Amino acid sequence: MTPAPLVLDGLVVGAILFSLGLVGILARRNLIVMFLCAELMLQGISVSLVAWSRHHGDWGGHVLVIFVLTVAACEAAVALVFVLQAFARTGRLDSAAWQSLRESNLPRTVDHELPAVDVLPLKFPKLTPAGVEPSVDQDALLEREHV
Amino acid sequence: MIASVLPTISPGTLLAGGVTATAASLWLLLPRGQSGAAERTSRWLGTLLGLAALACFVATGHRLGGLGEEAVFLIVSLVAVISGAATVVTRSPVYSAIWFAMALAGVAGVLLVLGAQFLGVATIVVYAGAILVMFLFVLMLAAPAGLAPYDRVSNEPLLSAVAGAVLLGILSLSIGRLTAEPPLCCRMPSKTAAIAGNAAADPVPAASEAGVDLLIENHVARLGGELFGRHLLAVEVAGVLLLVALIGSIAIVSRAASADGTVAPARRAVP
Repeated sequence: MTPAPLVLDGLVVGAILFSLGLVGILARRNLIVMFLCAELMLQGISVSLVAWSRHHGDWGGHVLVIFVLTVAACEAAVALVFVLQAFARTGRLDSAAWQSLRESNLPRTVDHELPAVDVLPLKFPKLTPAGVEPSVDQDALLEREHV
Repeated sequence: MIASVLPTISPGTLLAGGVTATAASLWLLLPRGQSGAAERTSRWLGTLLGLAALACFVATGHRLGGLGEEAVFLIVSLVAVISGAATVVTRSPVYSAIWFAMALAGVAGVLLVLGAQFLGVATIVVYAGAILVMFLFVLMLAAPAGLAPYDRVSNEPLLSAVAGAVLLGILSLSIGRLTAEPPLCCRMPSKTAAIAGNAAADPVPAASEAGVDLLIENHVARLGGELFGRHLLAVEVAGVLLLVALIGSIAIVSRAASADGTVAPARRAVP
């Protein structure tokens, strides 16, 4: 039977989120951002599961999403411990810092020369120079035009 | 006269007009440092616009039935997708995490529209409230000042972008094929018709009828009954998994800290 339009839209949204997470986990090198992208993929899966659950009219998808939440919490805890350990050893959150773990027949990742950081130097606001405080009419301060 | 004119306008136009008029009237009514005649004029205009907005909302109210769900779904899914893309492409990891929180809000909205009320709230509470804060803690602990070089360069950006786009295309194709009629070879009678042995029975059950079950009033109670009834064993296993993850992460941290030598070694039990 043909799914309802809303179910199809939900499936498309889930597919887009999953693909975005896949791109992120393939391309990004920061370990924490990689895990964020993995969580994004899980979100896409959750949306798809709920859409199918609505299509079939049963609770299986909902229950499965609850377990996805549970496993995601466990995974985040353990993974972040590993990330912290990796950071303590190398001082970097770079996945390429661990490329000695690659297969022996694969080439080594070499970063090409990066252009200088184009971030502007920090600008702090200038405080107005302090001086002698001008005399103020106290009565005029208390006056208001109307209440 | 107004009552005869208003129903001829489509509800979407009315709603858009009402929203615009509300915003404009509030802006006109708020103090903006004016005085005298200009202030009085803007007050009058704001009051009139506010009344018009109220009229629009009242005229729209009972006719929004079909429009609301689609429009809300469009908005929240746009939020989710745009924030998800920003999560992936943002250079700074902290901003990436914040965008991910925004994507979570969008996903929670999508889940709510799709009829998963409990899951929408749980996504906000568990993900944005707990998991994301943990990510941010680690980022604050570990991220260097400024943009690190590994945040500014990607690992094979072209290949991974192409891979993701191709995957998205394939998924969209297969989703689009769901709407097409199945070929004759694969068309099978539905289960109920097969059981009844009645070939003349309608093989297509109504899709809307199936979805109604999830939108009942005691939604959370039904979900809890399903979770702790049919899936009780899985709930127990999930509890064990949480416990194992807790113990495991503590064990990894303490052992690595003692082996590293940078932190004082863990105190051993005296025999």
